[in-house]
Amino acid sequence: MILFLLKRALWLVMTLWVVFTLTWVLANFSPGSPFTSERSFPPEIEANLRKRYNLDKPDHIRYLYDLRSLVTGDLGVSTKQVDFTVNELVALCWPVSAALGLLALAWAATVGMVAGVVSAARRGSVADRSLMALATIGIALPNFVIAGFCILLFSFLIPLLPPAGWGGPRYLVLPAFCLGAPYAAYVARIARTGMLDVLSQDYIRTARAKGLSEGAVILKHALPTAMIPVVSFLGPAVAGIITGSLVIEKVFAIPGIGYSFIQSAIDNDTPMAMGIVLLYTILLFTMNTLVDVAYTWLDPRVRWD
Amino acid sequence: MSPTLGSTHESAGIKRKQRRPRGNDMATEPPQSLIPTGKSLWSDAGRKLRQNRLAMFCGSILAVVTAGAFFTPLLPLQPSDNTVTSRDFEPPRWTGDPTDRLTITLDDIAESNADVAELLAKRQGLDASRVAEIARLDKAITDARHRPYRDAGFTDTGAWSRWMTRCRMRVWGSYSIPSYFGRDSLGRDVLSRVFWGARVSLIVSLVATLVSLVLGVSYGAVSGFAGGWVDSLMMRVVDILYSVPFIFVVIFLLTILGEEQLKKQLAEYGIDRITVFYLVVGAIYWLTMARVVRGQVLSLKEELYVEAARALGVGQARIIARHIVPNVMSVVIVYLTLTIPRVMLFEAFLSFLGLGVESPDVSWGMLASEGLNVITPVRTYWWLVVFPSAAIGITLFALNFLGDALRDALDPKLRET
Amino acid sequence: MSPRNLLLLAAAALLPLLGIVWSLTTSTLPPADFTFNNGTEIKTVDPALVTGVPEGRIISSLFEGLVRLSPQNRLPVTGGPEEWPGVADRWEVSDDRLTYTFYLRRNAKWSNGDLVTAEDYRYSLRRFLNPITAAEYAKQGWYLENGKKFNSGGTYLKPGDPIEVELNLEPGEHATKLGKLLRGTLVRKDPETMPDDPKERDKIQQRFFVTLDGKEACFVAGNPAQGDKIPQGAKPCRVVTLDFHAVGVQVVDPYTLVTKLQGPTPFWPQLMGFYPLFPVHRGCLEEHGSPAWTRPENIVTNGPYRIQFRRPRDRIRLVKNEHYWNHDNVRLETIDALSVESTTTSFNMYELGSMDWIQEPPNNLMADLMNGVPRRDDFNPAKQFGVYYYKLNVERGGLGDKRVRQALSMALDRKDIIRTAVRGPQTPAMHFVPPGIAGYTSPLCASPDIPRARELMAEAGFPEGQGFPPLEILYNTHEAHKAVAELVRKQWRKALGISVTLRNEAWPSYQDRLRMTKYDVGRQAWIGDYIDPNTFLDLLVSDNENNQTNWANEEYDKLIAQAEAEPRPEVRLKILASAEAILMDEMPILPIYFYYSRNMLRPHVRGFYNNVQDFHPLHTLWIDHDAASPNEFMRGANR
Repeated sequence: MILFLLKRALWLVMTLWVVFTLTWVLANFSPGSPFTSERSFPPEIEANLRKRYNLDKPDHIRYLYDLRSLVTGDLGVSTKQVDFTVNELVALCWPVSAALGLLALAWAATVGMVAGVVSAARRGSVADRSLMALATIGIALPNFVIAGFCILLFSFLIPLLPPAGWGGPRYLVLPAFCLGAPYAAYVARIARTGMLDVLSQDYIRTARAKGLSEGAVILKHALPTAMIPVVSFLGPAVAGIITGSLVIEKVFAIPGIGYSFIQSAIDNDTPMAMGIVLLYTILLFTMNTLVDVAYTWLDPRVRWD
Repeated sequence: MSPTLGSTHESAGIKRKQRRPRGNDMATEPPQSLIPTGKSLWSDAGRKLRQNRLAMFCGSILAVVTAGAFFTPLLPLQPSDNTVTSRDFEPPRWTGDPTDRLTITLDDIAESNADVAELLAKRQGLDASRVAEIARLDKAITDARHRPYRDAGFTDTGAWSRWMTRCRMRVWGSYSIPSYFGRDSLGRDVLSRVFWGARVSLIVSLVATLVSLVLGVSYGAVSGFAGGWVDSLMMRVVDILYSVPFIFVVIFLLTILGEEQLKKQLAEYGIDRITVFYLVVGAIYWLTMARVVRGQVLSLKEELYVEAARALGVGQARIIARHIVPNVMSVVIVYLTLTIPRVMLFEAFLSFLGLGVESPDVSWGMLASEGLNVITPVRTYWWLVVFPSAAIGITLFALNFLGDALRDALDPKLRET
Repeated sequence: MSPRNLLLLAAAALLPLLGIVWSLTTSTLPPADFTFNNGTEIKTVDPALVTGVPEGRIISSLFEGLVRLSPQNRLPVTGGPEEWPGVADRWEVSDDRLTYTFYLRRNAKWSNGDLVTAEDYRYSLRRFLNPITAAEYAKQGWYLENGKKFNSGGTYLKPGDPIEVELNLEPGEHATKLGKLLRGTLVRKDPETMPDDPKERDKIQQRFFVTLDGKEACFVAGNPAQGDKIPQGAKPCRVVTLDFHAVGVQVVDPYTLVTKLQGPTPFWPQLMGFYPLFPVHRGCLEEHGSPAWTRPENIVTNGPYRIQFRRPRDRIRLVKNEHYWNHDNVRLETIDALSVESTTTSFNMYELGSMDWIQEPPNNLMADLMNGVPRRDDFNPAKQFGVYYYKLNVERGGLGDKRVRQALSMALDRKDIIRTAVRGPQTPAMHFVPPGIAGYTSPLCASPDIPRARELMAEAGFPEGQGFPPLEILYNTHEAHKAVAELVRKQWRKALGISVTLRNEAWPSYQDRLRMTKYDVGRQAWIGDYIDPNTFLDLLVSDNENNQTNWANEEYDKLIAQAEAEPRPEVRLKILASAEAILMDEMPILPIYFYYSRNMLRPHVRGFYNNVQDFHPLHTLWIDHDAASPNEFMRGANR
């Protein structure tokens, strides 16, 4: 296992380097210089600014500079919010996205799993069909549309929840619901398929033949194996959900990392965008590794590779 | 953002595919494709699909939507970009209004055609060396060609759509369907925008998916067939690319390629923002496709019936054509129907962020986000939200459902259960 | 289920819960006394680096200039503490109107207890004008004697000028520190002038030959520690500038500051109340460095508030500064400035009670807000000192021809644009300088006349728009700009038969495009920095960086320069009016509408006044839930 994790760490470094290089190239060749704003500068001042941002140096030198500071963990100062270093910005946005994402994930996983298992246990029934139709709708509608309807319903018609902003737990409910909805739908469908797969296997037939109750069969014998595909879906989904849904954060004006990400990419805030991309990469990679660990745990047939 | 954006159901790294326990042991089944009279994969799938009523219903919805999108110019709709500012935010109504009617006639088009002919003659007469003048004339020609349509409020379209528009004018005259779906902030007809939006949304998702198909299938197939270190190298590349958060890549590519000089250069080769979008999105979704195809090829290579065929002395090409391709095809088709809705969602998502198609073109995502922008407790223009959302929802629902049904029908693993 | 699976499940369930609890505890705050939408995430709280109004609102609450402008009419306050004046008690102006003497009050303190002195203002002005700082508003300091020369580094230095050389910092010192200064005289520069293009500039190192204490030395800007190569025989330095002693800022004693101006500048006291010229605390900057000095725990302010908490793209929590000299008259204890960008979202939050003040309700609701029944008690649009206009790049296509530009203007239906695109009480702009300056009447441009516009196009060689190169309208991504551009496109197309396309860009690339004049028609808006025609007319002087139209008119430049030197106010305004007349004939810009402020403010908020700059200081506000009469904001509302 340690060897496995070491190998993974090596791959992570490789991946980070590729991602860094890719985004660096993209960012540095996109139009617009990093310090444009409402007023423009006389050439003398611009020269000073170029010096400050190392823009007067050739591209490859700049690349090496940036790589060096990346290795030391210093991602520089945001070019659009100059009062913050990228590390500080990420540290400030991160808990917000995490709270939102974890809540969304929790409801997506529990509700999705329950719906999927119920669906599979009652295959073909009205409950199964309606649950699966609901799940398909959840997947089909863009979540900003779901968000729009939710705001309409729960903020305007029945003024229960705030329509946007960030403050206390009340502000979390709607965004987490909208963010989790498509994931819940996916989980439900995957859980159902996985469950059906398992239920048709010999050992389940044996268990049934032994006279175990249907509930016990499902919970004790079928569920762990049926969870495997769900876990493998949730792994990468965690990364996606936690770094925050870009759109949901925008709709609900939530100061999370996803919104910062879009804004900094559009504003040409290279250090900031780069920082978030790298964070996302690490998360994605960690989640994938965790999934693999969970796999070996859940399914004894899978060995460390 | 849809949950499928940054991730797939499969994680990187461990080659799980081969080790995953199989539901049914394929090897115990008779290798069906070797039995000439047996039910073939496709006829079997067709039968199954026909039995699934809901899937057939979804299929017909999709057929209607596709036909509607394709033949939009033939329908007597109001031009999608025709602003009638005095009728802004008009709610849906059943009766017509004089401003619904088309403002141009076939005579106007004939007139501009005459202009075009005149300009063309002028261009013919020019010496080929006068590049600047020819370029200017070419611009004038395109301009004259589009002029009457633009005057009416149509967006710039290809020759085929213009022909359809003319047909429509011959059949319906200047009649246009009243604003059953209401009008938007600039007084444009929402019904026609939904139809024109369908065109863009469907084409974008189809083309982008096809791009991913071509890339993914060829990459996956090469990797699967080659095996050995080539395979593992190629798959490592895919693994690394999986960890690239590509929304960022898309946004950057779209901004870079939107740069004026670059855009002009690209435009000379006929590449505009939508084309860039096709390529970029296609280039993203190919990853999963490559993996799926590779996995399929790998497992097929080892299937008994393939080995049997090889033992019988069947040629490599014939094996590929008879056994590998049909089996890979089933996976590819299933994956295709499931990718289209994802791309559609992605386009909607980009449009929501203002990075999708550009005005005056419309897409469903753009319409839905325009509708969302005007939801307030003081006044809600529900028709701006409901109709585009319903269009997206129904189409995506149908696509997803059909994709599932297809998978059920085509997936050999589930065939006998 | 096996125990280890149970363990896994329990961990999986517990982790998210713990995570949620943790992040909620780190991210919730009790509600503030007053919450408003600041519109966007601010770039910085450093006065020298800001330009925008959202930054201005925060900075005006954190820092205090020599002068404060009144919330009612944005003119310098000279009254007692209850009128909220600035740090200067009073000021005097010399007879030639070139020298202003400011007398500082003796009880003004920084939030760490230090006294606010004239030296703080001199230091801050120096920092503001230092080319290293790269202040975007530095031009406001060019009114000072030699301000431009100092601000431009080596550009305008001539042999014989007194200069100072700022040496590079020691390793480990914060970049906010002022390097060691050497004073001397310039002998010569090599090369004499530098190219404007930044990339060309990078290839050349300008050498400054100077005499210091009688000895000659050679300096180049650069730092070997950062990988810069220093030529043989030269010494590295941060920057070479004019000696700051030659700039018109002088500390007479700790409570007296004298400023000498380049020309008579009637709005100079107003400028001293303008937030980019507010002071910063030198000790705080040099101790913590940038950006750490702006941290809530580090920042030292001399204004009514200090920062308690700040989360990007969410809020800035301001809390009363107990060391502020006038804190008895500051009544709000805490203020939240949110940074919601979407007008719809911010309106929704306002309507449902999460905010007390928003600046801009969505355009499509304007009719409902203005004419709804019953009348709203929280909406009172008022005239604002700003104009929305399109600039024409006169080097593009047909736009070089004056007749074409006039035709484009005549073909605009500004009323229709206001009615359908902006939907507010804005007024059509038929001249450039917004109305509202006492004693100034703007000359008008030609009134809308489509037949005449067509004639002009025909005269220019484009009958019915034939052969006219397509125009592209450039705007930055925003619903309202898009709506205007769409309508203009339609109007030009209909009236003149020309083809027009739209192009939207994110703010930075939009700015780049304007600056490099890579556009045909560009959207622009300008809000006056001070109440004077010059803040608008100066924009189109040929060497102004914000001209960006390639339009240059010698006579226009001459008139603006003449006005600058003119001490008699009435004559000066007449000269400016004749300059605007040139503009309205040449039409390198197409004014579209004049701004109206569209604030929405809860009825219980007091001390908020409509004014032409639509700038509303926060420290003058208070909350009064039992107010019987309408608040100051709603007075004079037409209902």
